[in-house]
This record gives sequence, structure tokens and C-alpha cells, in this order.
Amino acid sequence: MKVEYKLFAILCVFCFGVGIWYGIWTGWEEPVGVVGLFLTGGLCAMIGGFVWWTARKLGPRPDDDPQGNISDVEGDYGFFSPHSWWPFFLGLSGAVVFLGLAVGWWLVIIGMPLLAISAVGWVFEYFRGENAI
Amino acid sequence: MADVATATAQTSQPGIPAGHGPVTRPNMTAVGTMVWLASELMFFAGLFAMYFTIRSVAPELWTKNTEVLNVPYALANTLVLVISSVWCQLGVFKAEQGVPFRTGKLLQLGQWGMREWYVLTYIFGSVFVAGQVMEYSELVHEGIRLDSDAYGSMFYLTTGFHGLHVTGGLLAFLLIIGRTFTSRRYTHHQATGAIVTSYYWHFVDVVWIALFATIYLLQ
Repeated sequence: MKVEYKLFAILCVFCFGVGIWYGIWTGWEEPVGVVGLFLTGGLCAMIGGFVWWTARKLGPRPDDDPQGNISDVEGDYGFFSPHSWWPFFLGLSGAVVFLGLAVGWWLVIIGMPLLAISAVGWVFEYFRGENAI
Repeated sequence: MADVATATAQTSQPGIPAGHGPVTRPNMTAVGTMVWLASELMFFAGLFAMYFTIRSVAPELWTKNTEVLNVPYALANTLVLVISSVWCQLGVFKAEQGVPFRTGKLLQLGQWGMREWYVLTYIFGSVFVAGQVMEYSELVHEGIRLDSDAYGSMFYLTTGFHGLHVTGGLLAFLLIIGRTFTSRRYTHHQATGAIVTSYYWHFVDVVWIALFATIYLLQ
């Protein structure tokens, strides 16, 4: 995964460099740009650092081999829900709660139990009893 | 990042242990969580930018309001949150070993599983949130309100959004703990859920340290 973390490392150095340049340019009197650019560098460092750290544990993948074939990456990618209504209800009840912030607290009070039920339904759907994944 | 744990590659079939599939690949849930947390950093970047901008244009508000802040109290509360991250990480180690609950007596800490450590994390996290609420009530008595001046708006927006994140993390802990009760086996998917929740918790902890340093130490 060298390519991935190198990409983010370059972006990180770039953002910090531009942040310092921006700071000098504005005489360190305009904080929004400096904070924004430095933390964008932090964003790149977070993702790049995590990818680097994962790469250390996993070793090279078939994707890292220039001579690799597409068939080398076959196999199980993980669990994907084949069909579920819970995200729909979760989104709907979330919308009711946030609408309530604009309309009135009474709507939030109605939305909260719905949000709790759909969150629990969504989280527990595949984690029940014998057939838990 | 050195002290947080990762989930290695895994398969959807519980019979196949992690890393024994045809190909080892990064855990998609873990990578996705980190990308999302990086975007959360940008959310807090907006709040920090707001803080420094208002501070640079209205320094007199800072000299007036920062002397009201109770720094030792906030430091103690910060310590509670940092320690909760330690408990959370101990829970992650147990999740990685596939130990969902304790195998010994309640006071045999070494025999604790993920569930016990996460409950302890939950308790420390809720003490932190309760501490924040107490501090808010103190500050409101001192006249710092959301609508009192720009300092009040800044203070409650930054710490309030962080407090909402901590509260969301507490709810996530409840769901993760709940899963260990409802399913028969402790699978890699469950461990992944526990581990990515710990990523979130550590992230929120680090953001608080930055907020604490900015609001209380740098002032």
C-alpha cells in the first residue's frame, strides 16, 4: 500500500507548506486559512498514517504487485447486507428529529423514540442469536 | 496512533479466522471509519477557525471572560476523559483476543473482557459529560451564556459540539456492549465494531485535548 500512503504523505507536506506560506503572506493575522490548511494537513496525516500502519501489519497485497493479475484479488471482501429496510427508517426518523430543530421541540420529542428504535434495529439486524455474522 | 489497535483482514464466514482468506486486505470498516474521522477533523477545523478569528478581532472579550474559567476543574475533567481512553484501549485488546466478557470474578481485572472495560469507559465518559454540564451551569451563573457575547457563543458551540460527540460515542458503546448479549458467538464483525468505536473515542479524546489547550491553557 506504498502508493496510498505516499500520496497522502505528499498531500500532508503540501498542505503544511502552503499553510506556513499563507501565514507568512498574511503576517499570521488571518487565522482561518492557517487553521484550515494545517488541519487539512492533519486530515491527510490521519488517513496516510493509518494506511501506513495497516500496511506494516498486512504486508503487500496483490494490488501492490506490478505483475499481478485481477484474478489475484478474488475472494471474500466482507459482509454486505443483501437487503434491509432499517437504513430507510433510520434516515426518515433522523430527518424528523432534525426537522424538529427548525419547526419545534415537540417534533424532536416525537422523532427521538423513532430514531432510537431504527438505530437499534439497524445495528442489531445481523447480530442476533445463532445466525449472527 | 501507536497505541490504537486495528482489525486485520477478515472473512464473512465465522469459521474462517482473520487473515486466512484468499487475500489479506485492509479491513474496510476500519479504513472507512478513519476516512470519516478525518472529515470530522475538518468539522472541528471550522470551530477552531471560528475561535481564533473571534479572538483576533475581539481580544477585549477574552480578557473579560477567560478569568471566569475554572482551569483546575476543567483539567480534572480532561483527565477523566483521557483515562477513559485507556480503559477503552484495554477493552480493544480483549476484543482482538475474542474475549467478549469476563471469565473470572468481577474484581479479577485481568480476567475482564471487552464488555467490562467498555462499561468502565462508559462510566468515565458519562462523568466527563456530567462534569461539562456542571461547568456550564457555573458559567451561566457567572454571566457567560450562548447569547451573552461572541465569547459565550464560541465557548458553548465548540465545547457543546464536542460534548455531543462524546454523547454519541456513549450511545455507540451501549450498542456495542448490547451486541455481545444478543449474538451467540463473538465474531470478527463484532470485534471490528468494538475497534472502530475505539477509534472514534480516541479521536474525540484528542480533539478535546486540543480544545482544552486552546480554550483553557492558551486562552
